[in-house]
Amino acid sequence: MLDVADLSATVRQRWPPRRPGARTLARAAVVAVLLLFVLLGLPQLLSLYYIDAMTQVAVYSMVALGLGVLVGRVGLVSLGQVAVLAIGAWVAARLLFATSMPYPVVLLVAGLITMVAGMLIGLPALRLRGLYLALITLMLAGAITVVLKNVNFPNGGHGFTGYNGSSVHIPPIRRPSVASGDPAYFRYAVVVAALMFLLAAAHIRTRPGRAWAAIRQSEPAALAAGINTTLYKLWAFALASFITGVAGGVLAGAVHYLYSIGFPPQDSITLLAVVLMGGAYSLWGAIIAALLLQLLPALLNNWGVSADWLTILFGIGVLQVLTTAPAGLADQAPKDLARLGRLLLALARRLAPSGGAAK
Amino acid sequence: MPSWQDFQPFIVSGLALGGVYALSGVGMVVLYQATGVVYLAFGAVGAMGALIAWSLIHAGVPGWAGWLVCVAFAGVVTLAYGMVFGPALAKRDPLVKAVATLGLTLVLFGLMDLLWTTSGGQSRGITLPTDNPAFMIGQIQVTWTQVIGLGVGVAITVGTGAFLRYIKLGTAMRAMANDREITATLGVPVRRVEAAAWLGCGVLAGAAGLLLADLVALDATTLTFLVISSLAATLIARLRSITLTFGAALLIGLVHDLLTPIQSLSTYNDMTPFVLAAAALLVISRRRVMTRSREEA
Repeated sequence: MLDVADLSATVRQRWPPRRPGARTLARAAVVAVLLLFVLLGLPQLLSLYYIDAMTQVAVYSMVALGLGVLVGRVGLVSLGQVAVLAIGAWVAARLLFATSMPYPVVLLVAGLITMVAGMLIGLPALRLRGLYLALITLMLAGAITVVLKNVNFPNGGHGFTGYNGSSVHIPPIRRPSVASGDPAYFRYAVVVAALMFLLAAAHIRTRPGRAWAAIRQSEPAALAAGINTTLYKLWAFALASFITGVAGGVLAGAVHYLYSIGFPPQDSITLLAVVLMGGAYSLWGAIIAALLLQLLPALLNNWGVSADWLTILFGIGVLQVLTTAPAGLADQAPKDLARLGRLLLALARRLAPSGGAAK
Repeated sequence: MPSWQDFQPFIVSGLALGGVYALSGVGMVVLYQATGVVYLAFGAVGAMGALIAWSLIHAGVPGWAGWLVCVAFAGVVTLAYGMVFGPALAKRDPLVKAVATLGLTLVLFGLMDLLWTTSGGQSRGITLPTDNPAFMIGQIQVTWTQVIGLGVGVAITVGTGAFLRYIKLGTAMRAMANDREITATLGVPVRRVEAAAWLGCGVLAGAAGLLLADLVALDATTLTFLVISSLAATLIARLRSITLTFGAALLIGLVHDLLTPIQSLSTYNDMTPFVLAAAALLVISRRRVMTRSREEA
């Protein structure tokens, strides 16, 4: 059973409780090297087609991160994250057409406005839990999709919606001046994504993260331990929506043109599927999820295989994750690799003497 | 503001649509009560059944055989899913069970996109022989399909109500809704009752898919996500009462269609189920009692 006093002490704990150990440092070094490789090496190695795909991976890793925080940390399942992404992209596009604000400021403002919208979506979460919350976010996503279909994405027009009704002379959504080319914009997206991951990690390591963990295990127990569950749940929605809104801003610049059919409600379901497959409990899971969601279709498209196979694969993947591997690929893959390694080692050991005997 | 005349035909079509939503909603509530699963693949199996029927009918198979295959397909797929994943997830949270059915939805959705390509832009349709106008009520033409839509909705609601009350299998399902373990202890073959619920729900999904393919459109995405409308009705009834589900479904169908003639709102009428369900849930959950009882475990 949960020890309430213990729980409360854990949540109030100051961070850092101890000095970072050698393990943490090694992990940080690995992350830094990987990041440097992605920033400097990858654009040299890849064709433009794959650089575009990897930009999408960077965008969706943020979206998956947002959903991962909700699902993996707080235990709130949202089936409307793609609608939140659409809000972020819409706001960013509107700001980019209307103002000449520098891009990072636009991203920040888009993130903040989306955060407010996301908190409105999250309001039912204060009353509803589990199943009902998931279903109500599915409904809200559907409603947002209908509104977007009517309002349309800004395309350089005037007025609040910024939609000029024509589909002929559409100016592209601008990119930051330092990153107008595709490889440069890819680097830009990766840097933004890295910042968002840092933001999420900082939350998870400190008091909100511990409060979320307590809420995930048992909301009544968390409440009894003196945790303001309302505040922290709303906080989680705010953080997830902020990250998703920023991702929307990056997406707007990446694709230049936005259309409401680009954000169908089924994408929210696919997103949940890949987040569960990647692993909602780990930050790496978000990156795996984004690779599954954006890189695999690009690869399949290149090979001439229909992307519908992926939808089927994701469906099977969800069923597999839920029945046998709840922590997803981020947890399962290293374990399975280690097991495979041990198996091969054992096999080699068994073969070696018999091989000698055969001579 | 449109006149009363403009609204009249939409009352009929709204009631027909609501009837089919009720049919789907009742199927989902019964399955949820018996097994604890919110079956989100309801629309997808119905859609695939309808597409198979369409292909068969196009290949020259007589219509009734196609419809039968549609209903049978939905029933068999649902039963198979229930038999394989029902026991594996029996002890898990209702949320996990619901998300797992999203897995099935994705599989079916991918298969439909793969087998019945939608990019060509050709539109498919199932026309039931009941589509010709049946009779007039005042100035309004009514087709038999619309009559069947509402009629089946009423019949299924009443029939299911009676079934749960008077038939042994029905009372067993209600018992399982209360407590699965105790029901099993009392000697009820729990697995068999669950199988019956899955099969029944699947058959209803097939029937709903067929009717909606005719009343709305035969399109994988549309039909798959129409389930959300019936889901809204079940949510308003808190996944418990089938009478409330029926009423809510009719209301959703009516409001949706009655908004059509109002120009400023007609493009937003697809929001009806979402708005109604969200409002209802927020009102219902106003007084929340926090427990650590079954609902959370």
